[in-house]
Amino acid sequence: MIPHLVTVRHRRPDGSGLRLHVPVLPVLLVLSPLLLIAVLVGVVACLVVRVSPVGALRGAGQLLCALPGTRIEIDHGRTAVLVSVR
Amino acid sequence: MNEQRRQILQMLAEGRITADEAERLIDALERERPESPPGATPGPKPRPRYLRVVVNSEDDASGDGPARVNIRVPLRLLRAGVRLASLVPPQALTKVNAELTRSGVPIDLTQLKPQHLDELIEHLDDLTVDVDQSDTKVQVFCE
Repeated sequence: MIPHLVTVRHRRPDGSGLRLHVPVLPVLLVLSPLLLIAVLVGVVACLVVRVSPVGALRGAGQLLCALPGTRIEIDHGRTAVLVSVR
Repeated sequence: MNEQRRQILQMLAEGRITADEAERLIDALERERPESPPGATPGPKPRPRYLRVVVNSEDDASGDGPARVNIRVPLRLLRAGVRLASLVPPQALTKVNAELTRSGVPIDLTQLKPQHLDELIEHLDDLTVDVDQSDTKVQVFCE
């Protein structure tokens, strides 16, 4: 299952902050034309360096599907960054 | 109360970890040492799903305040990364080997097979790294 929601939170030292909730599927749909071009470029690059494009695509898909559950949280004094993938 | 549980509660009391983290750490402790009645056969150990890296550092000389790092990476992600890395072509591995040797790290990456890396990931669940300093604590474990 691909990630549903990516949450990015950033707190600056002055107390202001940024909180982004990115729904992955709608964003992928909006960016699908660019994604298609990127995949084609990737396939050509794989053929140039003699890497199996099918294996690379499968590996990238597995990587994407394994992302849910990832959480990176860094606090340093009054600054904080959180990236969470669900 | 054992020493590790006491340390977790102390970190919680000092505000160095959240209640949620304390609960997860205590759960990890209990999984490590399940309390089963004498004579009972222990059940299968639940497979860990995440690799956790927790760093708690007190206020440093720069005066920026305490630092805290909490990273949770699914083990599936590591496996997928290992599979993707196995696609690296041999000529690239040869170049990497040459650079590693030049840097004083004589590791032959061509000898690393995907199944070896899979085994490595499989055995990560036994991994626990604790680094304690006077002002910094680093923990790496699977849960």
